[in-house]
Amino acid sequence: MNIPRNDWPRALCQLNATEIKAVAATLSGDIDVRDVVLPQAGLGLLSLTDGAFHEPFYLGEIPVARAEVILKTAEGHEVQGGCVLVDDRAQLARSIAILDAVLSGKLPGCDVAENLVEKGELLRMQKISERRQILAATRVDFSLLEQEDDEDAE
Amino acid sequence: MSYVAIKGGKAAIDGAAAATDYMRCKNAVDEPIKLSVIEDQLRLLTSRVVSEGGLYHPKLAALALKQFQGDTLEAAFALRAYRSTKPRLLETPLQDTSNMRCIRRISSAFKDIPGGQMLGATFDYALRLLRLDLANEDPAAFRVVAKNFLRNTPEADLPDSFPKVLDALRAEGLLPPLGLMQDPAFDITRDPLVFPVPRSAALATMARAETGSLLAMAYSNMRGYGDVHPTVAELRVGYLPVMLPHPVTGELMEAGEVLMTECEVVAMYESGNAGDMPVFTLGYGACFGHNEVKAISMAILDRALQKGMRDGPDNPSEDPEFVLLHVDGVDSMGFASHYKMPHYVTFQSDMDRLRTTQGKVRKSGETA
Repeated sequence: MNIPRNDWPRALCQLNATEIKAVAATLSGDIDVRDVVLPQAGLGLLSLTDGAFHEPFYLGEIPVARAEVILKTAEGHEVQGGCVLVDDRAQLARSIAILDAVLSGKLPGCDVAENLVEKGELLRMQKISERRQILAATRVDFSLLEQEDDEDAE
Repeated sequence: MSYVAIKGGKAAIDGAAAATDYMRCKNAVDEPIKLSVIEDQLRLLTSRVVSEGGLYHPKLAALALKQFQGDTLEAAFALRAYRSTKPRLLETPLQDTSNMRCIRRISSAFKDIPGGQMLGATFDYALRLLRLDLANEDPAAFRVVAKNFLRNTPEADLPDSFPKVLDALRAEGLLPPLGLMQDPAFDITRDPLVFPVPRSAALATMARAETGSLLAMAYSNMRGYGDVHPTVAELRVGYLPVMLPHPVTGELMEAGEVLMTECEVVAMYESGNAGDMPVFTLGYGACFGHNEVKAISMAILDRALQKGMRDGPDNPSEDPEFVLLHVDGVDSMGFASHYKMPHYVTFQSDMDRLRTTQGKVRKSGETA
């Protein structure tokens, strides 16, 4: 898989949460999962630089869910996984954190997790492509009347 | 001012809640509105609520619109109430809107801008004629609209983001310098506005202001109670990737994206200090969701308030206190609505005083 670790969450978020939770539960079934911090859902203050003077200000708040886990295999191998999402589902963040650990530690079942990431990335690319189609369909080339070819006279 | 606690009326208040729900559901042949329908088909309404509620949660905004039966003020109020029950987990690092994944991008300053102009989904050039065919829309026809649009539009090789129009003007030395103010941003959700306030407080207040209020203030400036005379250098609508540190690696990762509208206006040029080259003045507007009138109004008011903060206000729209304390929908709606609540004691007092005054007038008339 050529998708870097930092891009796994954004790909997985495209999928149905039930599917992600089910795969995470299956892959961590025989593994000890410990929460480094309890999964949390709350808010984040969105900080922007304004486009005129590049000064900081807050646009508003966004929902944030985050989780951090340590997976310990039967052989005693420990892998850390984490996730932070613009979302209010703490358990979804925890499931993605588990998948993050499975993938980064190449634990058993990581191929299933990889498939999931690739499936999500495909959906993400499709969404981006649709947005580009909106742009392409509405690209405009305004021209001043006196510069225009005499189309109306034809 | 004297208020009085009242009691009684519980059955009526419960009845009012039931009657309100009855009004929503009384046409039994209708289907309950799905939140996704509100979010998609009434997307601009949802956009208003996320921006005026100050919380980017389109699904809850749709729920609030459903619950409050289309009242944007009440829906924004509900979203603010919801947010007040949630813990704040973090403050994002500064996000750069030049990374926005645009779905619309226009300029009224230049016909040719780097990357090109794209109208996107807009009513700008549409005739304001009712489409009567939508009154009884065929579900089958509805379902193929999106499919046909995508099928008939060629794939395009476009970049993820586009350069800012202002960058070109700045490179030419036509704009004021960047980033003189690097103080931390003002958090209007934690600190009250005590004037004078920094520009970041003004921007944050306007970003969650009620659209109509902001427009009214900006319109007063446009019509002549001000001198901004703006040109829209760039108006963009798109999805801003929200970059947050990965909990394990600490590296920035995309945690999600936020639909937002952003507008930069260029206004009348000014000379700074004596000997300085004159440069254009600027205004900036931004809000959650797709709301262009709000972003443009905010940009005009930002420019007007900068003048007011520097030189003192000449017009209401340049007065930070006047503008910022009167544009919040939840505040102003709350004040207007409170007049519906029982004011029996205050009004009794008014009547007593009027009777006394009338008695005195009558008495003085008799003695004259």
